[in-house]
Amino acid sequence: MYSLKLLGALVLLISVPQTFAVKSHDFKTCSQAGFCRRGRALASRAKEASSWASPYSIDLSTIEIAHDSAKFTAQVKSSLYPDVKFGLDVRLHTDGVVRVRMDEIDALKKHYDEAASWALISEPKVSKSMKWSVGKTEFRAKFGEGQEFEIVVQFNPLKIVLLKGSKEQIVLNGQGLLHMEHFRPKKVEAEGEQKPEGMEDAQTVMKVKPNAWFEGEDEDAYWEETFGSWTDSKPKGPESLSIDISFPNHANIYGIPQHATRLSLPSTTGESPHFEDPYRLYNTDVFEYIASSPMSLYGSIPILHAHSADSTVGIFHAVGSETWIDVSHATDKSTETHWISESGILDIFLMPGPTPADVFAQYARLTGTPVLPAHWALGYHQCRWNYISSDDVRTVQKRFDEEGMPVDVFWLDIEYSQDHKYFIWEPKNFPDPVDMINDVAATGRHMVVIVDPHLKRVNEYPVYKEASERGVLVKPKSGEGEYEGWCWSGSSSWIDFFNPGAWDWWKSLFKPYQLASGGWSWTQSTEAVHIWNDMNEPSVFNGPEISMPRDNVHYNGWEHRDIHNINGMLFSNATYQALLERSDPPQRPFVLTRSFFAGSQRFGAMWTGDNLGTWEHMEVGVKMVLANGIAGMSFGGSDVGGFFGNPEPEMLVRWYQVGAMAPFFRAHAHIDTKRREPYLLDQPYKDIVRDILRLRYTMLPVWYTAFRETTVTGLPVLRPHYVTFPEDKNGFDLDDQYYIGSSGLLVKPVSEKGATEASVYLAEDQVYYDYFSHQVYRGSAKGKNVTVPAALHQLPLFIRGGSIVSTRERPRRASTLMKRDPFTLRVALDKKGSARGELYIDDGETYSHRNGEFIWRQFFADKRKKELRISSKDLAALRPSDAVDGVALKTFNPANEFAKSVSGVRVERIVVVGLGSKPKSVKVEGGQTLEWEYTPGAASNDKKDGAAGILIIKDPATPIANNWEISVQF
Amino acid sequence: MIPLLLLLPLTVPTLASRDKTTGVAPGLLSKYAPSSGDKWSCLDGSKQISWKAVNDDYCDCKDGSDEPGTSACANSTFYCRNDGHIGSTIPSWQVNDGLCEAACCDGSDELSGVCPNRCREIGEAYRTKRDAERKLRKTGAKIRSTYIAYAHKEKKRLELLLQSNVQEIALQEKEVERLRDIAERTESISAAALEHKKESPLYQSIVKHSNALKSLQREHKKHLEREKALGDILDALRKGYNPNYQDMAVLEAVRGWEYLAGLPHINDVGKEDSEAESDGEVKEVTDEPVAEVLEDGMWSEEDLEKNLDPLLNTDYVSLLLEHDEHVQTPASESVLFDLASYIPDSIYPQYEEWKDAVISLLEKLGIVKPSPDAAAGFTDSSKARQALTDAENNLNNLKRDQERAKEDMEDIFNPEGFGAEGEWKKLDGTCLEKDTGEYTYEVCLFGEAKQKPNHGGSTFSLGKFQSWNPNSDVPVGSPDFYSKQTYKHGTRCWNGPERNVILELSCGLENDIQSIIELEKCEYQFTVTTPALCLPLEPENGKNVGKEEL
Repeated sequence: MYSLKLLGALVLLISVPQTFAVKSHDFKTCSQAGFCRRGRALASRAKEASSWASPYSIDLSTIEIAHDSAKFTAQVKSSLYPDVKFGLDVRLHTDGVVRVRMDEIDALKKHYDEAASWALISEPKVSKSMKWSVGKTEFRAKFGEGQEFEIVVQFNPLKIVLLKGSKEQIVLNGQGLLHMEHFRPKKVEAEGEQKPEGMEDAQTVMKVKPNAWFEGEDEDAYWEETFGSWTDSKPKGPESLSIDISFPNHANIYGIPQHATRLSLPSTTGESPHFEDPYRLYNTDVFEYIASSPMSLYGSIPILHAHSADSTVGIFHAVGSETWIDVSHATDKSTETHWISESGILDIFLMPGPTPADVFAQYARLTGTPVLPAHWALGYHQCRWNYISSDDVRTVQKRFDEEGMPVDVFWLDIEYSQDHKYFIWEPKNFPDPVDMINDVAATGRHMVVIVDPHLKRVNEYPVYKEASERGVLVKPKSGEGEYEGWCWSGSSSWIDFFNPGAWDWWKSLFKPYQLASGGWSWTQSTEAVHIWNDMNEPSVFNGPEISMPRDNVHYNGWEHRDIHNINGMLFSNATYQALLERSDPPQRPFVLTRSFFAGSQRFGAMWTGDNLGTWEHMEVGVKMVLANGIAGMSFGGSDVGGFFGNPEPEMLVRWYQVGAMAPFFRAHAHIDTKRREPYLLDQPYKDIVRDILRLRYTMLPVWYTAFRETTVTGLPVLRPHYVTFPEDKNGFDLDDQYYIGSSGLLVKPVSEKGATEASVYLAEDQVYYDYFSHQVYRGSAKGKNVTVPAALHQLPLFIRGGSIVSTRERPRRASTLMKRDPFTLRVALDKKGSARGELYIDDGETYSHRNGEFIWRQFFADKRKKELRISSKDLAALRPSDAVDGVALKTFNPANEFAKSVSGVRVERIVVVGLGSKPKSVKVEGGQTLEWEYTPGAASNDKKDGAAGILIIKDPATPIANNWEISVQF
Repeated sequence: MIPLLLLLPLTVPTLASRDKTTGVAPGLLSKYAPSSGDKWSCLDGSKQISWKAVNDDYCDCKDGSDEPGTSACANSTFYCRNDGHIGSTIPSWQVNDGLCEAACCDGSDELSGVCPNRCREIGEAYRTKRDAERKLRKTGAKIRSTYIAYAHKEKKRLELLLQSNVQEIALQEKEVERLRDIAERTESISAAALEHKKESPLYQSIVKHSNALKSLQREHKKHLEREKALGDILDALRKGYNPNYQDMAVLEAVRGWEYLAGLPHINDVGKEDSEAESDGEVKEVTDEPVAEVLEDGMWSEEDLEKNLDPLLNTDYVSLLLEHDEHVQTPASESVLFDLASYIPDSIYPQYEEWKDAVISLLEKLGIVKPSPDAAAGFTDSSKARQALTDAENNLNNLKRDQERAKEDMEDIFNPEGFGAEGEWKKLDGTCLEKDTGEYTYEVCLFGEAKQKPNHGGSTFSLGKFQSWNPNSDVPVGSPDFYSKQTYKHGTRCWNGPERNVILELSCGLENDIQSIIELEKCEYQFTVTTPALCLPLEPENGKNVGKEEL
């Protein structure tokens, strides 16, 4: 879905048609946001000053060290305002994460301090084993298994340093940019006094402000601020937060999505910065966003990784207000960042790593791992704004089936609803919604229907009426009544999910049956319907920056500015809970959200919003999906084909290749575009796309296994090079190729018009095989670029030597129809002639996996003397506690109900790739001799290139759920 | 080493129940038998495999022929016998996927026990439906035959028309010849004089004025078109902009336009309506536009529209000559011709009759000369020229009619025109309408499709008839060919394509629009029934029934 049709129409009318352009002036630059202006001015004063010291220091008399845990508190004072006090809380979690919190004490008002409570899964456990050593100028404490880490808190000026060995990893306030604006009363100046005639200039100059060296001369935008025609009343006055976070030994940083830019974030300040503005985190509905910009987009996650060949560390700042982050490099080995937030408290988590995997685990322990999606949600999603009627949906489904193109989900955008009253079917075009859903579900498919957070303000709309009666709508700045804004549905109000009263009510709406309470529920739906939450930034057409006024009031009196970036997550969270409670036993919900925050990964998928049908957007979409993965949102993708525009067939084909290799695979199109369902393509494009769709389905076991892993470890499903090869400097900037989970599959999507070949970087001294042709490519320990064929029908996809990839190769109409299908194992031998791989499957729909109902296998190919032994072992029995998300199983029963249900599922084929010599015989250990076929070619340990030697073992018929061994004799 | 116990069961029993000929179509059954040595050759001959590898749920043959009964080969097909109904073939990827295919009512595509045999009910429903369709087609075909009869009649009519036209054209050609002769003769006499007269400054100036006026008119038309387009854009802006989105530039544009166009402010329109409703009276929203006061002799907008073209078509040469006459010879007509001015209105008609009678009498007697345009003697060359031009125009019209009639004749039984049997001729120009609430859609077959708003606003063309089914895979003249019509080049959408329509036609007793959908912006699909597509049923015989397959 998208935004701003009206604005779009205006843009197109005013400007030359066919030109796409973001309306940049709708969105603030740093210089147009008072607090960002103040923050940047502070940084430049610090830079220009001959000497600079932070005015913040710890009041030694107030230090309290917990006697039973690694935590201490102290008061911090600022030399600027001796009367103002801040409370500092530094604690070490059991896993080595250091949390630094600071809030104003005895303040006039309250800084928003609930961001962490929405982001974190639970209050982290504080370590009991660490001891602080108190020095004269600082506190120090060592931690970590080998005591390799050390946290140092310097008293005056306040500075916090995380060390590994003796190397500085993270430094807070090293540049003295920490500033927490305290609440102050608004000065009421008498009019006569304010402006003596002709004296304004002289007066200002003469009034020397003692704190001007730090805060600047002016009270810039303290009490009111205007942008365009909107005035922000700022009733609480200045309350912004600035902190510098430096990484003296890390030259690359990744994360802080969502921005349309490279994975390794370019600089925004310092010497010849790449961007002029800082990276902005402020969830916005940007119309036709540009493909390279630090502008904010739909979602914000304030986490970043700082990386070097020596170590990886991470920073998570639990702040929900608008935040700008400047990035610079004082040297080519270091990175400095400066975080400027509009409101909230300082709540920073220092994640010590030291590997990328460690940082992912540390972050996952804080905000949770991605939820395990329903298996069908990894299939292909067909969307368009809009399928216009229930018959249209049926016809589209029929056409997919006639063409043998698999698809799992049909989507309905906003036009299904009557006057954009979500849930309410437009009766003329959708006279039989339940029949339609059942017709889709009859082929094992699902539907996803859009529900947005703006409610049309008419009393005949039961959802609005009930929300209004319950008083769970966002309030205007007066704090009274209902905020009214303009969105798809015209005059609308927004549900306030910060209000606990909204939750139970919201959950009740999704029940597909009549409620006993008499309240409204969505009886015109079934459990096959899942939900798309769009416009949850929130998008408000007539609001400042197409969003809500910052002085709007939410539950408990918090201003919208305090919670803006969290808002979208609460919506998808509530919808997720609603779908969870809809069925008994619970079925895994699918919820797609456009807006997100730290923790959103627990509730479903995201997509990169309203992209354009251009090569640039296709390319940057890949990088954005990678960047979101760094921040935990692994289940993501960008709209195949591009939302705006009519992609030519070549572009559409490439985009299907990109989409098929992304975790979330959905095609979508704007209402003004031509229909572009894959069956409408001419040849040869149609056949190519059918093959891509089928490829996606054959690889579902790979995707599902990768998702299992991320739900337990937090490691992203798409892994950029620095995650897989943290020590290979050549790969640190690489963001146009990636690995799928731990499968060993390396993808290089092509997003270049007219390409016939592509260059792929191989980071290691290992053999790689083309997935389709089994062509051999040999890497080198120093890293090596190889040129691979990439004509339109060729997707550069490689198996890393040493991997065993499980696939299901029978084409089906939908993923749910593949449950009985046999597996193919692709054994890609490494240089030593061995390989291993994993497979995880469960029922794909319920939560029975948390009761131990699943299978988790590990496959081995071990080279022995005159033998290659291929075997399947029970990984679940070996590591039950690591098997599934949400629960650490103590034991595993291989004869669980699910395993029994797939006892008839077998391995139908084993393809051994890179085998240099012809075997004598192949047999199942303790069983029959097997048929096989050998095609000579390059061996995994050769120097030769060319096609690899291939052994195809025909139908070993070994059960996928059991242990077995197959011996290949030479 | 793993204890052997854990390795059990070693293998999965696969589809043991599958017979070697499961899924084989009747025509191929003979090919599914082992050759000597229990071997079998893939149907494409590419490979020899063991007979036990047929239908063993593993794909051996490139053409998929070794797995007719399983889903192992993606490119294979599965035949369901559907006893009690009609046999059918499904792609192998629908086999053993847990779904009971409607096309496989005997359930043979799934493992036994998964799908019940529903061939009796499905077969029965199929037959009922088929019979209903046949009945419809039978009745429809009768109507269609009347269309064909009409086409034959129409052809005859055109043939006659063509014949009579031929005669008339011959006559008219003679007349043109005669007039040309006269014109040329008169012209040769006066050519030199005319050239001289044309040098008159007055004439020169008039020609210049005329050219200037023509140019102005051309520019004016351009401006009008542009203004119309701008007006449409601004109307769309006015109706579509979001008044709550406080973009002052947009608001000013809307306000400015409303002032210029004399429209009420859009935000007030709804209010007025609702107030009017509650008050039970309709309020006049706009002020009466103040009528423009014109100077004497000045043309109003209406005059310009109506009279400018005729004025510009004035024959200036004739005018020159008339002018000449006017200047040289003062009124010469007798009182008799002027008498009209003295006749009271009440008896004028009688006077006219009387005058005609008197004049013709006088003419006969040779007392007055017949009026110039009624007789052979031309008083000047331009009038002769005028008569010739008129005669030529007349001839051209006749010829054009003739051409059209010929074309119609050709189209009537043209497969790319009104069909090989002429069954569509009857519908040429037939207009069908459907009211969808907001709009009424209309298509005049072989003419134009339109979208007419029901609550005011302008009508849009959705395009003019372009072609039958444009898909080049569909043979011209096949029923599929006539199941689609395209109408193209309608009014252009905002920043979008020109509107166009695809008509999806099917057999029905009435010519009727069933539904209208806009699948994508400005692309309409009308589903239309018509008897013209109700082909007569082929005579049933054993052969056809045997071939029948779903």
